Amino acid sequence: MIRILGIETSCDETAAAVVADGCTILSNVVASQIELHAQYGGVFPELASRAHIETIYPVIQEAMKTAHLGWDDLDAIAVTRGPGLAGSLLVGVNTAKGLALGRGMPLLGINHLEAHFYSIWLTEAADKFKFPLLGLIVSGGHTELVLMVDHGEYQHLGRTVDDAAGEAFDKVGRLLGLSYPGGPAVQKAALEGDPAAFRFPRAWLGDSSDFSFSGLKTAVLRQVRKLDEEEQVMPVADLAASFQAAVVDVLAAKTARAAAEFDATAVVLVGGVSANLALRESVRAQVDRPVHAPPVSLCTDNGAMIAACGYWRFQAGQRDGWDMDVLPGLELA
Amino acid sequence: MPIHDDRMLDFVSNSATQTKRLGVRLGELLQPGDLMCLEGDLGAGKTCLARGISRGWGASRSATSPTFTLVNEYRRTSDSLPLFHVDCYRLRGPRDALEIGLDDVLDQPGVVMIEWPERIADILPSERLWITLRWSATTKRGFYLAASGQRYQELLADFRRSAFGG
Repeated sequence: MIRILGIETSCDETAAAVVADGCTILSNVVASQIELHAQYGGVFPELASRAHIETIYPVIQEAMKTAHLGWDDLDAIAVTRGPGLAGSLLVGVNTAKGLALGRGMPLLGINHLEAHFYSIWLTEAADKFKFPLLGLIVSGGHTELVLMVDHGEYQHLGRTVDDAAGEAFDKVGRLLGLSYPGGPAVQKAALEGDPAAFRFPRAWLGDSSDFSFSGLKTAVLRQVRKLDEEEQVMPVADLAASFQAAVVDVLAAKTARAAAEFDATAVVLVGGVSANLALRESVRAQVDRPVHAPPVSLCTDNGAMIAACGYWRFQAGQRDGWDMDVLPGLELA
Repeated sequence: MPIHDDRMLDFVSNSATQTKRLGVRLGELLQPGDLMCLEGDLGAGKTCLARGISRGWGASRSATSPTFTLVNEYRRTSDSLPLFHVDCYRLRGPRDALEIGLDDVLDQPGVVMIEWPERIADILPSERLWITLRWSATTKRGFYLAASGQRYQELLADFRRSAFGG
């Protein structure tokens, strides 16, 4: 059995997990900084780095304790090296280097976006998946449509040209006077609203697999201003539902089209925004093949997906050196 | 197009494509050390203009919104010099800007573009190009460029020639 410790500090979650053979979670510990950043309405990089430094060792110790393992039981340490906030990534990478060097263990630097795909191997048997898999990675910092051709082999299909989907949720949540983070708050408000109440624009960008959410954000802003000027009671639920529908329509339709075009065996829906139920339902309704959406604890940032991704790279004989550096702008394929 | 004097220029862009194209013209003229301040409400077209500027500068990848990470860095292909794209939307004032290390960014040998600069105006260098964007209709945006300092008056004159031939 191969046991790997996975460490993730790319943004605002300090996370560590131990995974056996890339599929069995022995522990999965996440310390969220949401409360710390809520006062700013978004992640504040310098504060995030400091919080990571304070939390990283207790989180790792907890992960080891929960897994009932000693250091000698581990085969390797995997850590996110990018993409993400430079200062936050440094905390994880330097901690991982120190542990690996001190214990004489192999070190694996992981691409955070690639690791999101591996969360599905934590939920189903490995032999269930056949390539190519189409991944929609949607979060506060990312909106990416990627084809996974094989382990470690990716074809980039599209990404946002302006705002990430999660960022649009945060900005609209703020416009509507909802709490941070905007994703869960807008989803909750939308439950009571009519998605057809306002006809917000969908940016299709022709046949492109790229996304754009900036125009939609502006349309919501103009609508809010107009209602303000007319001194009407703000129909927050209808605005939230109509905005959410516009985001979900484009994400689901482009995913369905790409799945058919590249004949993907299944669609993988991951990243923080994939916790949105309207998105899950719409993707399932429009995609004519299996859709794998891991539970919320695995589709948001976590160490288990880093360890799972590390397992496949470990088995392929890949190792990183002590000179491995963080790559804040790292892309996938 | 009304031309005021060497320090000011205003014009209307009729589409996002035109805004981006004007950004490219401006980006092509930038030199290391230049500071662009992009002021305007949500949806005024700041990120659109910034994408043009970064393309004109020669950035190897297309600029996207920096709101999530506050600072994005783009290296140009020719000589790896950086262009920093900073977003102060979530900052509450100059102190927050120092906390995220903005003074370090301003000291780097590259170009700096700042969205929501009015939130940290107190700590910005007095010499800069300040661009104000205004929403006027669904696709139309008004632009007002103000140059402070010799370098930026020259830049503005070059931009006027490059973009409008005037």
